[in-house]
Amino acid sequence: MQLMVEARNLRKTYKRPDGSTIEAVKGVDLEIRQGEIFSLLGPNGAGKTTTISMISGLVEPTGGDATIGGYSITKEPMAAKRLMGFVPQEIALYPELSARQNLAFFGRMYGLGGKELSRRVDELLEFVDLSDRQNDRIDTFSGGMKRRINLAAGLLNSPPLIYMDEPTVGIDPQSRRRILDTVKLLREEQGMTVLYTTHLMEEAQELSDRVGIMDHGEIIAIGTQTELTQQVGEEDRLEFIIGAQEFEESLAEGIQQETAGVTRILYNPPEQVSDDSSESTPSRLTVFAKRGRTALPQLIQNLDAAGVEIQSVAVREPDLEAVFLALTGRALRD
Amino acid sequence: MRSILTIILNDLKIFFSQRANLPGLLIIPVLLTLVIGWSLGQIGGGGPTRLRVDLIDLDQTSMSAKLIEDLRSANDAIVLCPLDNDAEDFCRLREEPLQLERAIERARTGRTSALIVIPAGFAAALEEFEIFSVDYYSLSDPMQPGPVLQSLNAVLQRASTASMTTGVAAALLTNLTAAFELPPLETETLDGFLGALYLRSQEMLTEQPAPVRFRVADAESASEDGSMNGFNQSAPGMGSLYVMFTVLGGMAVLLRERSQWTLQRLMALPLSRAQILGAKIGVYFSLGMIQYFIVFAVGAALGMDFGSSPAALLAVMAAFVLCITALTFALAPWIKSEGQARGLVLLLSLSLAPLGGAWWPLEIVPEFMQTLGHLSPVAWAMDGFHDLIWYNGGFIDVLPEIGVLISASVVLFAIGIRRFKYE
Ligand SMILES: Nc1ncnc2c1ncn2[C@@H]1O[C@H](COP(=O)(O)OP(=O)(O)OP(=O)(O)O)[C@@H](O)[C@H]1O
Ligand SMILES: [Mg+2]
Repeated sequence: MQLMVEARNLRKTYKRPDGSTIEAVKGVDLEIRQGEIFSLLGPNGAGKTTTISMISGLVEPTGGDATIGGYSITKEPMAAKRLMGFVPQEIALYPELSARQNLAFFGRMYGLGGKELSRRVDELLEFVDLSDRQNDRIDTFSGGMKRRINLAAGLLNSPPLIYMDEPTVGIDPQSRRRILDTVKLLREEQGMTVLYTTHLMEEAQELSDRVGIMDHGEIIAIGTQTELTQQVGEEDRLEFIIGAQEFEESLAEGIQQETAGVTRILYNPPEQVSDDSSESTPSRLTVFAKRGRTALPQLIQNLDAAGVEIQSVAVREPDLEAVFLALTGRALRD
Repeated sequence: MRSILTIILNDLKIFFSQRANLPGLLIIPVLLTLVIGWSLGQIGGGGPTRLRVDLIDLDQTSMSAKLIEDLRSANDAIVLCPLDNDAEDFCRLREEPLQLERAIERARTGRTSALIVIPAGFAAALEEFEIFSVDYYSLSDPMQPGPVLQSLNAVLQRASTASMTTGVAAALLTNLTAAFELPPLETETLDGFLGALYLRSQEMLTEQPAPVRFRVADAESASEDGSMNGFNQSAPGMGSLYVMFTVLGGMAVLLRERSQWTLQRLMALPLSRAQILGAKIGVYFSLGMIQYFIVFAVGAALGMDFGSSPAALLAVMAAFVLCITALTFALAPWIKSEGQARGLVLLLSLSLAPLGGAWWPLEIVPEFMQTLGHLSPVAWAMDGFHDLIWYNGGFIDVLPEIGVLISASVVLFAIGIRRFKYE
């Protein structure tokens, strides 16, 4: 199968204002095949945007290179950029202009004009279902509507390849649904290749043919969803929410030895949701076990005996979340 | 090229769609131009403080020298060319000789306020008490004599009065010697006596306060309508000030375009970095020119002078706008927030403008402030405008100013382009 995007050893080092440096991306290799939906899944700050910025020519890589449809993004940027559409994580639109003016401007930049341009703009407004608001200024739009125009602006040149950087961030479930459906539609009806980034496991799971899991500037696992979940084996995942209390490593080791089928226990202490919030996530205990349902009764007994207050428990089949957890020891949403 | 134009037009559309931009672009500069123009007109600060006058002395005698000396002291605003030219070539002679033909051309095109030609035989005619004529060429209306002609008249009157005194004295002496049958005076003695008498009477006439002293600063004598001149200073001055406000404001806009990711979206388009940068430079250059046009249109409506070379005027405007655009791009990479940008715009505009003579002509400030003022690009622009508007200069007269502004632009652009933050 033909490769649409091929990145080799991409690296990016940023300078911070205080003079120190940060390695945002540390040697990423990536292959995206023609016609597939590929997701980059990773928590905030993993380096998803930086990676996308390098393979779209926004940011010069500190090292490595990428080709788009065979054209090097650093050496033949014009030819490479003609093949791609780009939907940035931010609402990259002029707030003072109307939806139609925004689309018409970016369309003109792709060399469209006259009837052709206005037909394409009509089509896209129709496609994102905002024809009735086309003459309103972007700054009067809701978050979800902005997202949809932001997406339409990436489709103006009917590109064979589109990058979407967290296109569902900060919007309501209804708008999110609409955007996810749009992505599937683009691939099914127009055969587009899609690179989709997200920090939500559910989105990656629903959309992607293949997934790259990213953390701390590196792709730590890559493959189809089945391939990835096989990496963590056939283990189920038991998620305990426990009372706020000290939980020591030695306790985890003891329970692991005493309970048949348990291979690993991870403890995540409570964390503040955000800097300006007094809310915090509950203490969480994640237990990997061969046959989760069978191990559960004994596990509960042992935890109880150790004086751990169990508030709730859930059994999860192997999924991408489990892969991330297994590889990093952290939950994806932290 | 088409993409560059599309970006420029789009950015201008955005600029004009922001109502908050209009007071700064339109209302305040227009009001200030009016207020400053009228005020300067009333106090006479709107015109040249020095008058460029060509003087050709074909007589070359002590008497013509005396006349020139008198002319100088009669009006200290008059700069006689080439005699009193200064190091900065105020006379705009460019080290070429000033023959009659060139001087007449200069007066005819208004580059000088007047040309005065002292004819050969001037001294002889005065001594003989004969009729003589001093040639005076000027564009100014003879029915409303300007300051130069008034000064010249006063000085000539003094010269002929002195000459008359000697004439009368000579006649008296001749008559007396005849009446008393005295031996006729030797010619030498007589000439010596009459010469001394001429000089003495000149001196007495000079010591006596002249009936009128002319200064250009007298509003009425400066032009037909004093208030008009005010706009010759206020329109270029306020225009330049607001070009700075408007164009330097681009620092904040560039920052916003990066944070709202529209700049990045442009970079994802099949455009080269040079095209994007060129377009952004084009945007602020266009805005600066539009700003000048707005203020000059107001000046034009109120009868401001534009000199005789529209092309040169346009060139000075363009050079200044280019320089400020370059300054904007040189500073932009160091700006961290929009608030910081706004502060810097205020600081720069409000210091460079008065320093460079946007509010009042630099010619009225002390010498060292004039020198210091030329650190500001505004001073060079205003020098150019004054050359064109006050002295009717041509392209070649403003080349030095344009040269300085363009050189500064090149240096500033070199910094700005190298440091431009695409990421
Ligand atoms: N321009 C920049 N200058 C300095 N550091 C940067 C810059 N851009 C990104 N970084 C840093 O690089 C790292 C990766 O950032 P990046 O935006 O690529 O992450 P991300 O995976 O897209 O995260 P998110 O899900 O929050 O969008 C972060 O630590 C970030 O602080
Ligand atoms: Mg991101």
